[in-house]
Amino acid sequence: MKNFGKMSKRISSFREELLSIRPEVCVERALLTTKAYKEHEMDQIVLKRAYMLKEILSNMSIYIEPQTLIVGNQASANRSAPIFPEYAMDWVIRELDEFDKRPGDRFFISEENKNALREIYPYWKGRTLQDKGYSAYPEQAKIIYDMGLIRNEGNITSGDAHLAVDYEFLLKHGLNGVKERVLAKLNKTDYTDFEQMKASYFLKAILITIDAVEIYAKRFADLALEQAKVAEPVRAKELERIAQTCSNVPMRGAKDFYEAVQSLWFVHLILQIESNGHSLSFGRFDQFMYPYYLISKQNGVSDEEITELLENLWIKSLTINKIRSWGHTKFAAGSPMYQNLTIGGQMFDGKSAVNELTRLTLNSIAVTRLPQPNLTVRYFKGLEEDFMQDCISMIKLGFGMPAFNNDEIIIPSLVEQGVSYEDACNYSAIGCVEVGVPGKWGYRCTGMSYLNFPRALLIALNDGVDLTTGNKVANGIGHFLDMKSFDDVLKAWDVTARQLIRIGITLDNCADMVVEQNVPDILCSALVDDCIERGKHLKEGGAIYDIISQLQVGVANLGDSLASIKKCVFEEKTLTKEQLWNALITNYAREDGERIRQMLIDAPKYGNDDDYVDELVVKGYDTYLDEIKHYKNTRYGRGPIGGHFYAGTSSVAANVPQGEGTWATPDGRRRGEPLAEGCSPTHSRDTNGPTSVFKSVSKLKTEKIVGGVLLNQKFNPIMLERQSDCDKLSMLIRTFFDTLHGFHVQYNVVSRETLLDAQKHPENYKDLIVRVAGYSAFFTILSKQTQDDIIERTEQVL
Amino acid sequence: MSKDKGYVFNIQKFCIHDGEGIRTTVFLNGCNLNCKWCANPESRLCISDPRSDAVEYSVQEILKEVLKDKPFYDKSGGGVTLSGGETLVQKEFALALIEELKKHGVSVTIETAGNVCNDEFRAFVSKVDFVFIDCKHYDEERHVLGTGASNKRILENISWLAQSGKPYMVRIPVIPNFNDGIEDANAFGDLFLSLGVKEVELLPFHQLGQSKYKTKNINYEYENVPQKKKEDLKEFASVLEQKGISVSIGG
Repeated sequence: MKNFGKMSKRISSFREELLSIRPEVCVERALLTTKAYKEHEMDQIVLKRAYMLKEILSNMSIYIEPQTLIVGNQASANRSAPIFPEYAMDWVIRELDEFDKRPGDRFFISEENKNALREIYPYWKGRTLQDKGYSAYPEQAKIIYDMGLIRNEGNITSGDAHLAVDYEFLLKHGLNGVKERVLAKLNKTDYTDFEQMKASYFLKAILITIDAVEIYAKRFADLALEQAKVAEPVRAKELERIAQTCSNVPMRGAKDFYEAVQSLWFVHLILQIESNGHSLSFGRFDQFMYPYYLISKQNGVSDEEITELLENLWIKSLTINKIRSWGHTKFAAGSPMYQNLTIGGQMFDGKSAVNELTRLTLNSIAVTRLPQPNLTVRYFKGLEEDFMQDCISMIKLGFGMPAFNNDEIIIPSLVEQGVSYEDACNYSAIGCVEVGVPGKWGYRCTGMSYLNFPRALLIALNDGVDLTTGNKVANGIGHFLDMKSFDDVLKAWDVTARQLIRIGITLDNCADMVVEQNVPDILCSALVDDCIERGKHLKEGGAIYDIISQLQVGVANLGDSLASIKKCVFEEKTLTKEQLWNALITNYAREDGERIRQMLIDAPKYGNDDDYVDELVVKGYDTYLDEIKHYKNTRYGRGPIGGHFYAGTSSVAANVPQGEGTWATPDGRRRGEPLAEGCSPTHSRDTNGPTSVFKSVSKLKTEKIVGGVLLNQKFNPIMLERQSDCDKLSMLIRTFFDTLHGFHVQYNVVSRETLLDAQKHPENYKDLIVRVAGYSAFFTILSKQTQDDIIERTEQVL
Repeated sequence: MSKDKGYVFNIQKFCIHDGEGIRTTVFLNGCNLNCKWCANPESRLCISDPRSDAVEYSVQEILKEVLKDKPFYDKSGGGVTLSGGETLVQKEFALALIEELKKHGVSVTIETAGNVCNDEFRAFVSKVDFVFIDCKHYDEERHVLGTGASNKRILENISWLAQSGKPYMVRIPVIPNFNDGIEDANAFGDLFLSLGVKEVELLPFHQLGQSKYKTKNINYEYENVPQKKKEDLKEFASVLEQKGISVSIGG
């Protein structure tokens, strides 16, 4: 078993300090943004956005933590969450007095700052993305959005992100390199050509944002020099080095590993100031950083020094925070930023991409043990077993990392979608489990709207009427009570689901339209090919690839429900239609309700390698896969390869709030209980062990669910006590990936007892981190409901 | 008992602590011993007993179920383990199943207490890849007391196994107040040396079966007797090791 070693004293004290912070709300960005928007009201939106960034970066508070070697902060204090007023303000004002009283993800804010926000609120009325998005939603779509049946609140209340930009170019050429490309393009502008004239505003905007970054870096150089004057000698030297580094990067190319880390951090951070989109990912860190590692090694820098810089970077990545409305928070419990960092995998020639830096990266993330960055290891057949064992040793630490994504299925699936083989080999995980090509892919390879499958099934059975609200939302084929056969049930599902999918597309395209018009990201677009050359920002179709995905929630509940209906009502006829329907609408509360519920639970369940139900899961999902392929996103035909949608099941924590609004379902689930997450089986219904779960999951049409097939497995720590157990876990994962072509798997290795104890004594568990969905979070900041959901997941034991 | 129909009380996937690789264990109903500490007491219930969990299976039905995990066996060097109860109680059925498994290239391990005559034992063992055999006591009288049967045939079979070249492992379930003393370890050691057994696995007494006694309403002499931990067996193990026997502690 690998011993990952210890943090240096500096890092350990930095980490401690960060973990004891009570997150606050920071209003600086909100005030500076308001000022910039007012001053630049007349400017083209792209220029307005650029001036906004310049205003913020020139005037926001900056500081250098006493322990840090890398500088750059997002807000006025670490873990403070800035307010981004241009996206949404209604919920901010509405919830101001509730932030510190939430059941989970609490934030604190002073009365003075509350008032500051209230003061700017009138300006933003009718100007925010949310106002414009909601107003633009077509009638029928708006009804469904309001019902919570299809959700994309996050898409009109925050920025996009969900991508990795071209850090390789940044490190090599610096922002000056970007500037050169922009100037070359701008100088050729023919202003009589409408497209070129339009592009010129975007190109000029890029130049403004680059200036803004230069100002920001210079401020840090000055601050470091000033502090060096009064620091003790060792720290003074460090501060001088910081100053020197900030004068060079990110404007120029990085000369060594230290500069590369600083350059990367500046831009990674500023992109999260420009927009509050989350899942801004690092990409293939161990690949684009490797040349700088080699240079520093040649310069005599030790692996210990490299490791310390890495650990410093991970701690920095946790300083960034985001506050969401309470409604949205429930979907993304634990304040996740989903800053994914991908390592491993293969090179174009099929050889392993694992290098010394890959190992140091894994090691340092294991040692700092934080929810950020979100580490993904790309698996492929040739992944070295000793590295695999290091991954398993890390999994044993219990904080849910690394997750594995599988090259063996992802690369061919991407090629199938039109991605070049070379680019496909260079994919990285984005956010949770979804994948994209860094620096070439637009926003949100996943992260569009959520569709609640089981609730949609109930609508199908109820002739198009939603049980929760009584609204008629689809044209059904009749009521369940009048259905003659199980085929009628399937048909009802198919007909209803297709109508709802169309509404999801409408909502998503509408959200994308208003994002394009109102909140384009300038710096972010400048770092994705081929925005500069095309003179288009990402939302206008600047990216080389632009395929997006929605999220389907409750896949297992859908299949399990279909199986229960088929078995109990139509095949064995142990229940009449009336009995089942009455049990559902009375939430199994009547006299024979519990007996009926048990019968439904005893029917075959997904996750046990039972074809009877697994085939129904596949069949139910097929409707989605078949319907979604007809639709285009707003960038179709405007430049990118793709321009369409595909499926994805990275449902983050949505299974909990989506379950809240869903009536009792025919799989024996009571009203309000959580749905199954991702593509995982329903909690406690997979009773045959992990091999059967893998077999069931592998029956899905994984090659078409390119937006991610999220599978959580929970192991009791005693399962992995011996080396031979770890060897067998490796074999288990290898079989799932090599033979069964699974997409992804991640592990929670923490005992039920530990979690129960942490609920009772949160004070003893302030750094207990658990896997929530495609991301990890501090257990104690989650709401009780989400905590319970995690505890209830089936523990795979012998 | 027939060749075509067998009685099985559990099929457990992803067993990783009994033998090589990732395995599926098929628990055959019925036993010819009556160990007081037995962890699977339901296996001793007659199939007509309403408390029995045994389900009738054909060879093909079991085959279909266990072959579902073949990709995992292939990758990990695992396979199917036949256990019980006592595997050899349903000998005909077990052999028919083994024959089918072999046709599909699945490696087969058995767990047995070896309480059958040597001819029968040999014929059976020749069909499988690996044998786990229990040795519960070195002393015949004490063996009868704990299990209800003599250890004579068992020792004969272990002795034969040790000479046969068939891969095998002898296991001692280390049971409080039965065979867990240092003098017991010494005697076991001497016995193994005389039989030619060079390697042994110790299984610490556990209470995972206790709840079954309750739910099945079966009398249990070991109720609430504390479980043994691996550490509790260290001294026992070192006595054996001093005699040159290599020891692992399982469970």
